[in-house]
Amino acid sequence: MITQVDIVGAPNKVIASQNTIIETTHLCREFGQGDTLVKALTDANIIIERGEFTAIIGPSGSGKSTLLQLIGGLDNPSSGDVFLDNKNINHMTGTELSDFRRDHIGFIFQAYNLIPVLSARENIEYIMLLQGVPAAERNKRVDRLMHAVGLEGLGDRRPAELSGGQQQRVAVARAMVSKPSIILADEPTANLDSKTGADLLDMMKELNEKQNMTFVFSTHDPKIMERAKRIIRLVDGCIVDDERRS
Amino acid sequence: MLIVKLAFRNILRNCRRSLLTLLSMGGGFFLLCLTLSMSEGSYSNIINIFTQDHTGHVQIHKENYLERPSLYKTINHADEIITQLEQQPLVLGVAPRIYSPSLAYGKNKTFPAQVIGIDPDREAKTTRLENKISEGHFLTSEVINQVTNLDGNQISTDGYFPAMVGFTLAKNLQLTIGDELVLISQGIDGSIANDIFEVVAIVGDVGSYERMNVYIHLSAMREFLSMQGDTSKVHELAIILSSQSEARKFAVNTQLALKNKSLSVDPWQVVESSFYKSMQADKKGSYVSMGIIIFIVSIGVLNTILMGTLERTREFGVLKAIGTRPVAVFTLIMLESFVLAIISCLIGLALALPVCFWLAGVGISMPEPIDMGGIIFDTMLGEVSWFVVLLPSIVVISSTLIVSFIPAIRAAKISPLKALQAV
Repeated sequence: MITQVDIVGAPNKVIASQNTIIETTHLCREFGQGDTLVKALTDANIIIERGEFTAIIGPSGSGKSTLLQLIGGLDNPSSGDVFLDNKNINHMTGTELSDFRRDHIGFIFQAYNLIPVLSARENIEYIMLLQGVPAAERNKRVDRLMHAVGLEGLGDRRPAELSGGQQQRVAVARAMVSKPSIILADEPTANLDSKTGADLLDMMKELNEKQNMTFVFSTHDPKIMERAKRIIRLVDGCIVDDERRS
Repeated sequence: MLIVKLAFRNILRNCRRSLLTLLSMGGGFFLLCLTLSMSEGSYSNIINIFTQDHTGHVQIHKENYLERPSLYKTINHADEIITQLEQQPLVLGVAPRIYSPSLAYGKNKTFPAQVIGIDPDREAKTTRLENKISEGHFLTSEVINQVTNLDGNQISTDGYFPAMVGFTLAKNLQLTIGDELVLISQGIDGSIANDIFEVVAIVGDVGSYERMNVYIHLSAMREFLSMQGDTSKVHELAIILSSQSEARKFAVNTQLALKNKSLSVDPWQVVESSFYKSMQADKKGSYVSMGIIIFIVSIGVLNTILMGTLERTREFGVLKAIGTRPVAVFTLIMLESFVLAIISCLIGLALALPVCFWLAGVGISMPEPIDMGGIIFDTMLGEVSWFVVLLPSIVVISSTLIVSFIPAIRAAKISPLKALQAV
C-alpha cells in the first residue's frame, strides 16, 4: 500500500524526531553565476528516519545525485544545512568530515570506485584500517561480508580481475564493513545486468532489514523503486513528491 | 603500514614510468656524485700539495708579514713557541723558516731566487721536502765538510754552506751537484749579504712549488743575513696537523693561547688566500652546474608526480569520500616520492661508486697540465667520502620532496566530489 505524505517545505515545519538520521533544511545548490546560473537543488527539506530504504528518483539533471552528494558531505550546499545524526556536517572541517564519513557513511558508487592497487579483500578492509580496528576483528568482519555478498574465494583478486557485478559487491561490502548508520548509493545498479542488479538489491534489502541500516539510493531503476519503503521524486531540483510505502 | 603498502603498490602499478623516473633521478644522483667527487678530489689533492709540500695547515708570522713581508718582521722566542706547539696532540710537526729574496748566481748567469732557511729535521717532519730531492741528498748538516755523498764519501771540505736548489733555478743557472752557488741579498744590519754555497741537492721538478727556491740551514741563513745573535728569531712557523679540517679552529685557539698580539696565527685558507678564493669561486661554479642538473632532474620528477597524481585524481576522490583524511592523502604522495628518491639514490650510488673509486685511484690525465697557484697538475683525481655520497642523496631526496609538495597539497585539498567527477 502506498501512502502519500506531505512534502516538508518551510524551515519551521522541519521537526526531527529522535529516530531521525538525516535532516536537510532549505538545502540549495547552485552552479555558475549570472546568466549561467544553474539551480541544481532548491529548498530541499527532507527528514529520513533510521532504517529507511529510500529511493530518490527523477529524470536526468533533476538533482538526485546532487542531493546525495550534499547528504554525504562530498559537496557543500550554496545555502541550507545537512544534519546527520543531529550533527550539522556543513560546519565540520575537512578532517572532521573525513572522520565522520569514515565512521557514519558508507558510499556505493555507480562506477564502483574501488582502489585498483588493492585486492577485493583489502578494499573491504581499508576503512577498518583507517578506523584502527584490530586485525582479528577486521578479518572476521571481512570474511562475514565476503560470504554475505557472495565473494568467497575472490578476496585476492584485484578489481580489474573482477566482473562489474563482483566489483559492485565489493563496493557494497566496503560500504557496510564499518557498520555505518547511513549508506548512500548513487545509481548502484546502473552498470549491472538486471539479474546481478536484482540480486544485489535483494542483498541490500536483507541487510537493511536485518541490521536496520539506512539506505538512500539515487536511481532510475524500477527494481529499486519496487523495493524502496519511501520514494522521493525530484524534478528540476525541487522535491515534488515524497511517498512512503507500508 | 596501510599508506606504505599503497605507496609501494602505486609505484609498481606503472612500472615503466617508475623505472624511467628512477633512471632519471638515479642519473642525476650519478652526475652530482661524479661532479662532487672530481671537484672535492681535485681540490683535496691541491690542498694536500699546498699544505704538505710547503704551507702546512697553520702558519705563525709577525703581524702583517703576509701582507708586506719584511726581513725585520721576525717571530721572537720561536723556540719557546715551537716547544709549546709540539706538546699539542694535534700537531705533527712545526717547521721554523727564515726568508730572504736573493739574487742567485752560477755559471755566468743570474736569477732571482727565494732563499729559505730551514731546520732540516723539523722540516722533514712537517713537509715532504725531503721526499722531493731529485738529485743529491737532503741537508743533514750545517756545513759542507760534514756532508757525505750518496756513496758515503765526503764531497767537500771547503767549509761552504750546503744548499738545495730548486729544479728550474738549477737548470737556469746550469748547476749540478757539487757546483758553487753565489747568493746576494740584504743583511739584517743593512749590509750586503753574500756568500758562496755548494749545491748538495736538486729539489722537485719543473712543476714543483720549490722550483725557484734555494734551501739552506737556518744557522747558515742567520750567518748569511748577519743574524747570528738572534738564534731564536724566524719569519715563519709552519705547522702540520693530523687533520686538515681542524686548521681554522686550531689557528683561533693557538692565537688565544699565545697571548701575543704582535703574532698572527693563520690557517692555510688565509695564508694561501688567493688560491682559496679561486677555489671557492670555482666551487660555486660547480654548484651552478649541479643546480642545473638538479633542476633538470626535478622537472622530470615533477612531471612524473604530476602525471601520477592527475591520473589518480578520481582515486583520491574515492579515498577521501570513504574517510581518508587529507593529511593521509598528502602523506601517501610524499611517501611515494620519498621511496622513488631512495631507490634512485641506491641506483645512482651503485653506478657512481665504482667510477668514483676509479677516479680516486687512477684519475683523468689532462692533455695539457694546468698551473694553479704555482703548482702544476697533470691529473684530475676524484674523491670518495661521505660528503660526496651524502650531499647528492640529500639534494635528490629534498628536491624530489619539494617538487612533490605541490601535487601532494593539491590532492590533499581537492574536493572529493570534484575528484570523483574527474575523467
